[in-house]
Amino acid sequence: MSRFFTTGSDSESESSASGDETAPKAAGGPYSKPLLLSEDEEDTKRVVRSARDKRYEELTNLIRSIRNAMKIRDVSRCLEEFELLGRAWAKAKGVVDREGVPRFYLRILADLEDYLNELWEDKEGKKKMNKNNAKALSSLRQKLRKYNRDYEGQIAAYRQNPEQSDEDEEKSRRDSEGSGSSSGAEDDAGNFLKRRERDEPRSRYKESESEPESESDEDWGDSASESDSESDEDDGKFTSLASKFLKKDEERRGAERRREEKAKKKLERKSRREEEEEEEEGGEWEKVKGGVPLIKEKPKMFAKGTEITVGLVMKKLNEILQARGKKGTDRAAQIELLQHLVAVAHEHQLGVPLELKIKFNIVASLYDYNPNLAAYMKAELWQRCLGCIEELLELLFAHPEIFVGENVLEESENLSNPEQPFRVRGCVLTLVERMDEEFTKIMQNTDPHSQEYVEHLKDEARVCGIIGRLQRYLQAKGSPEELCRVYLLRVLHTYYKFDYAAARRRQVRPRPQEKEDEEKEKQEEEEEEEDSEALMERLCRFVYAKDRTDRIRTCAILCHIYHHALHSRWYRARDLMLMSHLQDNIQHADPPVQILYNRTMVQLGICAFRQGLIKDAHNALLDIQSSGRAKELLGQGLLLRSLQERNAEQEKVEKRRQVPFHMHVNLELLECVYLVAAMLLEIPYMAAHEFDARRRMISKQFHHQLRVGERQPLLGPPESMREHVVAASKAMKTGDWRRCHRFVVNEKMNGKVWDLFPEADQVRAMLVRKIQEESLRTYLFTYSSVYDSISMETLAAMFELDLPTVHGIISKMIINEELMASLDQPTATVMMHRTEPTATQNLALQLAEKLGNLVENNERVLDQRQGAYGGYFRDQKDGGYRKGDGYLRRGGFRQERGNY
Amino acid sequence: MNFSAPFLGLCWKTRLQVVLKIIKHYQEEGQGNEVVQGVLLGLVVDDRLEITNCFPFPQHTEDDADFDEVQYQMEMMRSLRHVNIDHLHVGWYQSTYYGSFVTRALLDSQFSYQHAIEESVVLIYDPIKTAQGSLSLKAYRLTPKLMEVCKEKDFSPEALKKANIAYENMFEEVPIVIKNSYLINVMLWELEKKSAVADRHELLSLASSNHLGKSLQLLMDRVDEMSQDIVKYNTYLRNVSKQQQQKHQYQQRRQQENIQRQSRGEPPLPEEDINKLFKPPQPPPRMESLLIAGQINTYCQNIKEFNAQNLGKLFMAQALQDYNN
Repeated sequence: MSRFFTTGSDSESESSASGDETAPKAAGGPYSKPLLLSEDEEDTKRVVRSARDKRYEELTNLIRSIRNAMKIRDVSRCLEEFELLGRAWAKAKGVVDREGVPRFYLRILADLEDYLNELWEDKEGKKKMNKNNAKALSSLRQKLRKYNRDYEGQIAAYRQNPEQSDEDEEKSRRDSEGSGSSSGAEDDAGNFLKRRERDEPRSRYKESESEPESESDEDWGDSASESDSESDEDDGKFTSLASKFLKKDEERRGAERRREEKAKKKLERKSRREEEEEEEEGGEWEKVKGGVPLIKEKPKMFAKGTEITVGLVMKKLNEILQARGKKGTDRAAQIELLQHLVAVAHEHQLGVPLELKIKFNIVASLYDYNPNLAAYMKAELWQRCLGCIEELLELLFAHPEIFVGENVLEESENLSNPEQPFRVRGCVLTLVERMDEEFTKIMQNTDPHSQEYVEHLKDEARVCGIIGRLQRYLQAKGSPEELCRVYLLRVLHTYYKFDYAAARRRQVRPRPQEKEDEEKEKQEEEEEEEDSEALMERLCRFVYAKDRTDRIRTCAILCHIYHHALHSRWYRARDLMLMSHLQDNIQHADPPVQILYNRTMVQLGICAFRQGLIKDAHNALLDIQSSGRAKELLGQGLLLRSLQERNAEQEKVEKRRQVPFHMHVNLELLECVYLVAAMLLEIPYMAAHEFDARRRMISKQFHHQLRVGERQPLLGPPESMREHVVAASKAMKTGDWRRCHRFVVNEKMNGKVWDLFPEADQVRAMLVRKIQEESLRTYLFTYSSVYDSISMETLAAMFELDLPTVHGIISKMIINEELMASLDQPTATVMMHRTEPTATQNLALQLAEKLGNLVENNERVLDQRQGAYGGYFRDQKDGGYRKGDGYLRRGGFRQERGNY
Repeated sequence: MNFSAPFLGLCWKTRLQVVLKIIKHYQEEGQGNEVVQGVLLGLVVDDRLEITNCFPFPQHTEDDADFDEVQYQMEMMRSLRHVNIDHLHVGWYQSTYYGSFVTRALLDSQFSYQHAIEESVVLIYDPIKTAQGSLSLKAYRLTPKLMEVCKEKDFSPEALKKANIAYENMFEEVPIVIKNSYLINVMLWELEKKSAVADRHELLSLASSNHLGKSLQLLMDRVDEMSQDIVKYNTYLRNVSKQQQQKHQYQQRRQQENIQRQSRGEPPLPEEDINKLFKPPQPPPRMESLLIAGQINTYCQNIKEFNAQNLGKLFMAQALQDYNN
């Protein structure tokens, strides 16, 4: 990982040593020399210095001592010096603010970090280290990490191209200096050397990677190649064959030495030329920079000249993976590293299995990128993740012979041996499941009303595509358990979508234009030409049959029901719900499943409503609506509650459970459906049981809304959905179905509610009919006492129903003993029988009952007086009195009224 | 212009002014079943009590808890005396809601009035009936029997039985005569002549269910209370009889033991205080049920009266309709 201190090769360390030597000098610039000569003298001599110079000098001084300490591995001194450096830096802040962070400072920070990391990794060395040093090491490491955080960006930039920064540095120095002094020249030499060294491997890699003929890179060509033809030749030889690295190592080292000598000679020339080329050079270096970031990383991975084999890559991979999860690991860098590793593996054709293996790890580390569960992936990472998984799947499809499984042990993996079947450890399914989770998280954390959300939602297709491909892959080789899991994923992405294509296909006469669309769609998803219904059926059936974990089956059932309900297949949905017995034990399920259950129930209720099954709709929605927490129960938002009830931790958990916005059930629609259903049930019931003391409420919430409406001091025209329903209820109470209808179905309500249904017109037609029927019932309940007889034709005309329907409704009412009447067939009239007592009569009856009680109690008092004899008497009375008399009295009363 | 009624066989006389004042008081302050109260002023002339003036009690609010009612009354009477108005305290008045006035509170305050001023009377004004077209103003006094019982403050069943008190003879109603000065009578006659046909249709209103329903509802509530009271009393009686049995058993056992001891020549066991061993259960106060019974009686009277009137009206209306047809 470190540029200078990789332990791998000798030459590297050598060069790093030289680099170290030169670095402080370069940084020190012109002042480093006199400073070395005599410090005291310098102090007195240079009284007039710019603040910048003074500060920089201080810093360079310290930096040098740090470097020295680094060389002798005296970490404790390093620490001391570093602290001093920090202080000096703070002093120099003013200057820095003006001019920006100087390169040499960044370099020392970067170097120090690398150095410490190296020490830290070196377990052996650490053991040998004395206690003081070890302690200093850890503390320095921590401090540095903290410190470097502020300069992260700059250091990263520096790492990208240290050459350039060096160059800049030098240039600026030279500029200030004027023409090169001897000391400057020396520095330059050092710098140059260093640069050369770095350039060397870079170009080598570059060449080997892409075009061998581009060996005469511009940077080489201009600045160095003339003087250093030999190295050029070397480069040419080294180019494509990695194996040569090893062999030529000796040679190369020799060449390096030679080069060093040459470089010195070259210096004079160079310094001369430098002045001339200054302008040009800038341009040149620009060009180099373009190539740098890509290639730059590679030297980190493998020492120059190592033969890249499967084993080596594996080792590297393990090395990278070991850092995973540790505190100080730069996760972004890790992903980069892995990606380059893949590139390397690909380039050297180390085999698909290895690539697979690394790709698995890339995806895993992409998931690891976020430190906590709550945070969601950034868009860019997410795209990369998707791409990666797609690649992975492609590879898997391309090489079906590779066995991938999570139960493959690390040891039994076979990545390279072509004789045996390839075995790779890793589970695509888990990765895809995780991807799905991440997708949900992203959707949860995006503002649903922003364009961004739409953008993210577009990825859903990709996610579905991936799941589909995975499904196909697993269908070929996966176990039933795995298949269940992937089917569930598929189901979870299908169940809430209304299948417009299928709905259209089912229409009798599809318009030609639509047909085209349909065909186009068909072409798009050739593999999914089956309706989502059939798809769901197939997937769910498989899950029902094969699944052994209860949870997947439960989810599948719920999704299946939801899907049925969404497509108005009420009876199938209901039967499935009843057969699954989920209602009995859903309270034992975990919250996400419960949320799914609630969603399903709601959808079921809405479906029943669409079908005109008001009572079923009401029953299905009752649980959700009566609590008043529909929003929370459906996982569509948190209720505002006091913090005491829910601490931050709980809130986080609850937030994670939220359903993404595009899957939401419209709450207003839900409430409206519920209230209208309640109205259709409750109003006739209220009318029928007006004087019944034991009357119970069918829907508390509906009554609540009615009360709220009554409390209103001034009743304006209804605005909200609730007001509409309340107004409609009032109209229905008087049997005025036209007004009721106007309140329930109008422009406002259409926009708010009814148009949201796929088959809106059908629903509206159903509603009109229901309103007419229930209004008729209410009318009969309320006003039957006024009539002696009503013509059914009149009623039919009043409620715009046809005669048989009216006849049916009235007959039903008579049979249920709701209406005391009889039908007169020849005249088609309803004859009312006065049997229902009026309010006063009701009261009188109640009073009579109470008086009966009173008398009874009184008799008991009397019994006490009379003793056993009275008891006998009472028993007799008690038996006959209450029942017989009460009954008789009432019967008699009725008769009387009837005659009246 | 005097209200007169028999006082100990005499007569109470009231002035119209008083009646109007009471009505005004209710209309200004009484709402629904809220009750307004006030003080009656007057004097005893021969065998009659003449009520010549009145003033209302101010409405109580929670805010001024330290309001001194007695102080206010004294102040008021002093002020009235200054303007030369009869300032003798002769009773009080109260409005009622559907005739529900027979309560413990009324009993207590009337008792204290009557205890202090013998000729005191309580005027009950029923605004609802009045609104229906007939002035309803009744004067009540506690019967001497009840006075005695109240003085004893013993409301146990035995005491009430001994006093021979029943709901019928708790209160006595005294006839009221409204008398005005001749000048006022003349003026009234004149007014009557001048005014066009009296537009008082309330008297002829056929709608009855509302009033009747309310009355029935109240009556039912009372019946319920009565029922509960009886149950309580019943339990008490049962407890008493149970204890009586236990006592009896105990005595018998003691007797047998004594007989055995005697036969053995031992001295008999000392007679212990049997009441100490068996504490008689606390008898429930019967005053409440008496009052409830009284109230029920009043309701019944009201309903009967109302129904009699209404039936008459209904028959009349029917006859009219037949005639028209």
